[in-house]
Formats: sequence, C-alpha cells, structure tokens
Amino acid sequence: MCQAPLDEPVQAPLPAVAPLAAHPEEFMSNKTCPSCGNQVPVNDRFCGQCGAKLDGVAPAAGPSKTMFFSGVQPAGMAKLVLVKADTGDGVAYQLSGTDHLLGRSEGVILFPDDPLLSPRHANFFYREEKLFVNDEGSSNGVYIRIHAPTRLESGAFFLVGEQLLQIEALAPDFGPQPDAEGTYFYASPKRASKMRLLQRLRGGDIGLIVRARGDTITLGREGNDVNFPDDPFISGRHAEVSLGPDGAFLITDVGSKNGTFVRILGETQLVHGDYVFAGQQLFRVEIT
Amino acid sequence: MITCSRCGKENQDLYKFCLGCGAKLQAGAGVPAPKPVPPAENFVPTPPPEVLGRPLSVPKTEIPPEPELFSATSPTVKPPLGLPAGSPVPPFDMGMGAHAAGPHITPSPATAGLGTTPRAPAAGMPASGPSVQIGLGSVPMQVPPRPSPATPAAASPPFAQYPSPPMPPAGGPVVQAPHASPFSPPPVETVTCPTCGKQVATAFAFCGGCGHRMKPAPGAVAEAAIQRAEAVAPVPVRVAPRGHLTLIRPDGTEGGAFALQEGPNLIGRGHGPVFDSDPYLSPRHAEFVLGEGRLEVRDLRSLNGIFIRITEEEAIESGDSFRVGQELLRFDVINPVVPLEDGTEIIGTPNPGYWGRLSVVVGRDLDGPAFPLFEEVARLGRERGDILFPEDGYVSGSHCQLSVRDGRVYLKDLGSSNGTFLRVRESRLVPSGSLMLMGQQLFRVAYK
Repeated sequence: MCQAPLDEPVQAPLPAVAPLAAHPEEFMSNKTCPSCGNQVPVNDRFCGQCGAKLDGVAPAAGPSKTMFFSGVQPAGMAKLVLVKADTGDGVAYQLSGTDHLLGRSEGVILFPDDPLLSPRHANFFYREEKLFVNDEGSSNGVYIRIHAPTRLESGAFFLVGEQLLQIEALAPDFGPQPDAEGTYFYASPKRASKMRLLQRLRGGDIGLIVRARGDTITLGREGNDVNFPDDPFISGRHAEVSLGPDGAFLITDVGSKNGTFVRILGETQLVHGDYVFAGQQLFRVEIT
Repeated sequence: MITCSRCGKENQDLYKFCLGCGAKLQAGAGVPAPKPVPPAENFVPTPPPEVLGRPLSVPKTEIPPEPELFSATSPTVKPPLGLPAGSPVPPFDMGMGAHAAGPHITPSPATAGLGTTPRAPAAGMPASGPSVQIGLGSVPMQVPPRPSPATPAAASPPFAQYPSPPMPPAGGPVVQAPHASPFSPPPVETVTCPTCGKQVATAFAFCGGCGHRMKPAPGAVAEAAIQRAEAVAPVPVRVAPRGHLTLIRPDGTEGGAFALQEGPNLIGRGHGPVFDSDPYLSPRHAEFVLGEGRLEVRDLRSLNGIFIRITEEEAIESGDSFRVGQELLRFDVINPVVPLEDGTEIIGTPNPGYWGRLSVVVGRDLDGPAFPLFEEVARLGRERGDILFPEDGYVSGSHCQLSVRDGRVYLKDLGSSNGTFLRVRESRLVPSGSLMLMGQQLFRVAYK
C-alpha cells in the first residue's frame, strides 16, 4: 500500500515488504520508511515504494514493528487503521495534529486511486480532546458503523454488506388527485404503505424498490423482508429498519458480522472501536 | 373500493370475492345494484353511461375513483324514459361540469359512496365475483365496428343490434322512414344519432348506442339534431364516418362508438359521449388521423396516454410504459457509471449485471415496487415468472416477458387473456381491429 507523504508519523503494522533474504547486504544499510514501512537504502532521500520524503528520519535500528508503537504514538491520540477485507489491517494513520483531511487529492490521508472519494472528502479533527469526523461536502458521504439503534431521517442512506440502501417515508395517500384539467392519473393499484426501501446502484441509479407493508423492514441474506442472497458480506439476519411514531426511522443491527453503517449528516464524534467508511476505504478508530 | 376484511386488499366494488384471498366481500350499499331493465316497448337503447343514486354533493375528501381496468362505462341502469335527461347531476369534484354536451358525467360505481359505507350486496352486477377473465379473450380481435350477434348484449331486440348504415351518405341526421329496417316490425319514428349513427326513436332523450343526448322536442328533431351535431363537432359530419372507435365494456360487450372521420379526430373528455364519463381521459387526449387505409394515433401529451395491445414482439426503449392487468409498469435501462466532473463516481451497490429495471407506477412521479432485470429474459405473471403480481386478477398466470437481445430490449405477450398494452410514445400507425386503452376504458378501432 503506497501512501503519499504525510506530515504526521504514519506507521504500518505492515506485511513485510522488502525481500530480506534475497538481499541481506542491502538490508544492513537500510532504513525504514515511516510512511509505508518499506526498507530504503540509508542514503536515499525518498522512499522507493511510496515516494515519501525521508529527510531527517533516523535509520531503523531493527525490525520496524516493535519500534513504532511505543515511541511515536502520543497518549490520548487516535489513529485510523485501514481495514482490508483480504489482508487484514493495513496502514495506520496517526492523527497527531488538529485537522486531518481525507480525500482523493486534498489533505493528508490520500487515496489517489479511489474514484469514490471526492478530492476533499472528510476531516478528522479533535475538539476538547474528543475525536470527530465531518463530511467535507463529499459526493458519496461518510458512513459509520452503528452500535445501537440509530435514528434515520427519511431519505437517509445506509450500508449493509455491499448494499447501499436508502429509506424513505411515504406521504399519506389521500387517493388520486386530479390535475389542473380535472384529469386523474391512472396508476397501478397499491396497498397502503408508509415507507419504502431503495437499493442505490453504483453510478446513482436505482435497482430494487420495496414498499413495506408494515412498520418494519428486515434485511439480510435469507428469511427477511428483503434478502440479498448473492451478497457475501451480508449476514443471514443483518439489520432492520422501523418507522417510529414521530415519522423518523430507527435502524438496528441485529447481530451482523460486518455491521451496519449509516451516513453521517454533520460532525460526528468517534470513539475507540468505531468503524468509518469513506469511498472504498474502511478505517477502524483506535484511541489509546 | 371494498377493503377485504381478511387480507386487507382493496377490491373493486363489483367483486363478490377478494382477489387477494378469495374471502367473501361485504359489498356496500352505496351503489344501487343495477336491475335488469325490461325491454321498453320494442326498443331498448344500450344503457348510456349513467349511475343513479349518486350523492349530489361529495365532500372533497372523498376517495376518487380507483382506476378500474377496462371498466368502460359502469354496469348501470338505463335511465327511465322521460327522465330529465340533462339534469345537471354535478360531477364529483373534478371540474368536469363544463362538458354539457354529453350525458351526465358518470363516475363509476367504485366512486359512489365511501368504501366504509355498508352496502347491500351488489347482486346482479355483471362481471361480479372473483373472475379473472373479463371477457376480452372472447372478443374477437377483428370484428366489424357494429355489434355482432355473438355479443352478449342480447337484451336488446335485434332492432338495436342491426341498425342501418350509420349515416346517410349526405346530410345530417334525418328522420328515418318507417320500415327502414326489416327488424323493426312496428313502425317507429327514428332519428340518426349524430355521434354514432345508430337509429334512435324520437321519443328517446338519449341515443341507445352511445348515450348521446338526443333530447329535442318531437317535431324539431331533425333541425335540432343538426344544430347539436354542428355544435358538438364543428368538423364536417355530413360524410359517412370511415371508421369507429368502439367502447368495450368490462364484460366484453360494446358500449357505444365514436365515429372517425377522414382526417384528424380529436379524442378527449368532452369530445364524445363515450369519453365523457372517464376522468382519466385528458380533455385533449389524442388525435386520430384517418387517412387512406391508415390510422395514425397521436398522443396530445395526455396525462395517461394511449396504450395499444401488442400483437407481436415490440422493441421498447428506456422510459416506455406498458399496462398488464391493472398494473402500470415502466421500463428503464440502468445507466452506465459516469464519473462526476471532479472525477468522483457515485457510490453504490456494485451492479451485478442489471441491464434494466421494471417499476410499478403507483402514482404521479411515484414508483412503487421496482425490480432489477438481470437474466436475458424476465417473465411477468400472476403465478409464474420472475416478477409476480399475485394480487392482480387481471394478470394471467404467465403474462408477458421482457428480454434483451443484441443491446435491444423487447416486450412480448405470452398469450395472456387480457393482453399487454404498450404506451404510444408520440404517435404510431395502428391497424384496423387494434385494441387500445385510453384513460380507464378499452376501445377497439376499426376503419376502412
């Protein structure tokens, strides 16, 4: 995983990168890139793997893993650990400043190859020693995993497995109304419904639409109101959305493996163990 | 609407059993059950669209008519002779009162009375019960515009069934000489209906064929009729119509006709008795341009469009609508992913290969259920297929299919009883004998 230069120390708990056994002599005179953990010849000024500037970095004195955690991470500071579905945890981003912008081309946490990230996407920042995330007007939003039943307004987006879904309240149906010319619109017969669920496809189109018959829609891989049997990231019973008495919704994860994520609307506090989705990147929040 | 107390499905008022679960429905008393009408003397006009006993004033909040597929005019009672025919029965609040030319604006019985009103059993209503066949299947596709002997509207004596040619070759409606028809033993003075050409006894206030108001006092019949004809249709009516648009009732019988003249014919609510009772027709709905051996149907940007029953596989495009049973469906393609200006792509579920989406339209700008189309062929039906409408009794078990081939999408009927009707995009040529839905009524068009 290549990362562009960061101001902050960034550490990678790393899958070992350099072919150590093949070039033992090089290893002896190497230093560790603070950005990606790669072994770099001592005299190089830039990391050959990720391009990070290496000025001022002391040569590594041994295996990188043991050195970083204790030495660099300030107490009370948070880091974002990039979670990779296939390889486990990846790069970690130390949040040691005040603001930490995430984006495709602006900021300090950059993913130039992620087309789902806006150039400037989100900001992780501290306020009164608490960590917050804010959507910086991105096109695709920032999603966080819910711990408890969470309120959703009509039109809200959420993620279960690979499915991006949207929940909408339906206005009370007073029956067909005539247009200005006194003509009624011919429509299919329908049952009364208070809410509907939309599947939003990549690119923005709508796939599935389901109208609820009751006040709750259950979601999962099988045996629910709405099932996504082909989505490997959805649990058998995954989540449910209920319409509350005030017209808002309540979304509950019913014990899924991969969690349920809701799109944040404003500044949202993060705590240790939170998961944050932005673009294609999933981060775990670790606060020491 | 009658809401089934067992499963909650809404059923049309004429049903005795729930289409959803088969439970017996509590028919309300809001609508008087039509009574069989004894033949009046020797002439029984076909019942004009008419609902008696309708409340004169209806609160605005009343549930307007539920779309009733193929419901042409409602099963109704013939207005007694001598009824003050033009009596201004106010239409339910739809601003339709301006159309004075036709008979009463007649909401279907589904509109009369709220669904909660207890009703007397609607005994004797035609097409009652949970029948899923509404008789269209028995109507031959190619029939002359006149009623055929096979038509079940057998209550009328032959006189009414076999009228003389609709119009004299020249001149407007005239008094018919006695013995004009071999089927009319007693000499009855008749006049030609200016709308549909049927012979109507001068004593009658309405045309039996189409419900056109004939009212004028005996003696001034011809003159008044001509004046009315001119008032109704400024276009020349002095030539015999080259074609007819015949209304097909829910039970399969014919319910009046609209004469099609050479050139453009305006179709719409207020432009003919067979149209006036349908609040789902726009005032200017369609234009039928009749030429030499061809008929072009143009949608005048009507609210509900014109739907032609397809007889073979038809290529459709994104945004096309079609009607199956009572369902109004729209097909859309799934658009390829196009990045935004800043290079960002819109997040979403990875498309597993959906090439289209079929949406059930449940309101203006409101989609109900929507189904992504994945396989090369998607079949629709009530019982079998990929997309099912188990609660729509007018959908056949296996009804129609959508398929994609070489980048084109096709709609094909699978031998359904009630047909698959494709909305006319702007205009199209329509062969004689075609069936079409306009508003909530079904028509057959025939022309020379």
